[in-house]
Amino acid sequence: MEIFWQTIAAYNSATWIWQAVIILAGIAATAALVLRPNPATKIIMKLYMVILYLWIAIVYYGIWCAPRNYSNIMIIMWSVMALAWVWDAANGQTPFEKDKRYSVLAYIMLFMPFVYPMLSIARGMTFPTMTSPVMPCSVVTFTIGLLLLHSRKANLFIVLLLCHWAFIGLSKTYLYGIPEDFLMAAISIPAVYIFLKDRFIPSAKENTKPSPAILKGLLMTVSLCMGAILIYTIFRITEM
Amino acid sequence: MEQNNKSILEAGKFIEEYSSHMMGCGVHTSRVIRSSKRIGEALGYNVRISVFQKSIILALHDKESGESYNEVIDIPALPISFEHNSALSALSWEAYDKHLTVAELRERYEKIISSPKMNPLFVLLMVGLANASFCRLFGGDWLSMGIVFFSTLAGFYLKQQMTADKINHFITFITSSFVASLCASMSLIFDTTSEIALATSVLFLVPGVPLINGVIDVIEGHILSGFSRLVHAALLIVCIATGLSFTLMLVKNSLL
Repeated sequence: MEIFWQTIAAYNSATWIWQAVIILAGIAATAALVLRPNPATKIIMKLYMVILYLWIAIVYYGIWCAPRNYSNIMIIMWSVMALAWVWDAANGQTPFEKDKRYSVLAYIMLFMPFVYPMLSIARGMTFPTMTSPVMPCSVVTFTIGLLLLHSRKANLFIVLLLCHWAFIGLSKTYLYGIPEDFLMAAISIPAVYIFLKDRFIPSAKENTKPSPAILKGLLMTVSLCMGAILIYTIFRITEM
Repeated sequence: MEQNNKSILEAGKFIEEYSSHMMGCGVHTSRVIRSSKRIGEALGYNVRISVFQKSIILALHDKESGESYNEVIDIPALPISFEHNSALSALSWEAYDKHLTVAELRERYEKIISSPKMNPLFVLLMVGLANASFCRLFGGDWLSMGIVFFSTLAGFYLKQQMTADKINHFITFITSSFVASLCASMSLIFDTTSEIALATSVLFLVPGVPLINGVIDVIEGHILSGFSRLVHAALLIVCIATGLSFTLMLVKNSLL
């Protein structure tokens, strides 16, 4: 637990200028994609994601979080996700077609990376020993928000890896008492429901079984179970 | 004579389609032979059939006219289907008991093979839950089960996509095994049953049907097809082990 916050403090102290550059680049890339969606802005956004994920893999986990146990797993995991974005950029898998159905939720998620530090400040923490917008959990919420804003044909492999990460984050909140990660876990549950529903339920009307109603019910049950685990964890943390 | 030729041709075409579909969807060899012969007998033909790993040699002989029909058929690569297995086997009994014509048989056959398939989302969620249950059966705790569930979702979705993209299935197995075990390796950062989570995260890839069919075939004397199935299953197991070994080499050498 002590090493956890020490590594975050060291990372923030050493990289805050770079983090500011990454945030500004992210705002510019997102604004360009939202306001002028064209092949160039879509490729720029994907390249930005590759760089962001590699930053988390190499700089965050590889350099500053190296003292943590098994940080090499995180390096590989984030490198695999960066590779998935490279594959996506090369094959045009995620078309980044705007979907207005979930835009409110998506914009809230896009803003979440800035809520993380506020939550740390509200808990009485001070710079550099606090969460920042260029950390794994903030990047996960940003990515899910971005994909939700363009949810048609979103790269589900990346979504599932991010949801796996969110589940790990939920376990961390419980075991290490890091309530900031509740944000990520809480948003990934409705996100995974939306992504899976939009991808698979329309095709369920074709020659497949069970019926769309049963599929929706099953997906809802799994999501509710995850929600129940989340609420249980919140109560346990409050008791601690 | 022409009428006889036509009927033996129709029956032969149907039996070759029927037997190759059964072999493709994971039915063991002796059942395919028995069912095909049963249909042949119901239609009044002697059926001789030799099954190899990639093809079937079929011979029909009309007991009355002495006409015969010979064909070599390729076995298609189809998804494993227990439904097709039981329904097609039952169809052969129906043909025998009710003396169905070739046209009636074909109509029922088409109905069986065009029945609705399982939705990929349903399969994805069920495979995730099944693998998490395996984790529990092997002594994993609730946290490990959750990690195995999400690892399986990621690994199995990747397998579904790579299969849909027609990527070589050995590469598909190695990659899926690597991704699932890499996701499960995150359990190492917690005080949990991480070794069980790692070991059970790749169980969804184990080729159970070819292994069981291979053993049944060998026991029942179909050594060639049995061994070919066992060799294929063994290669897939090597692929799973390769993917898992990549993860273990990267994250935890002591587990190798």
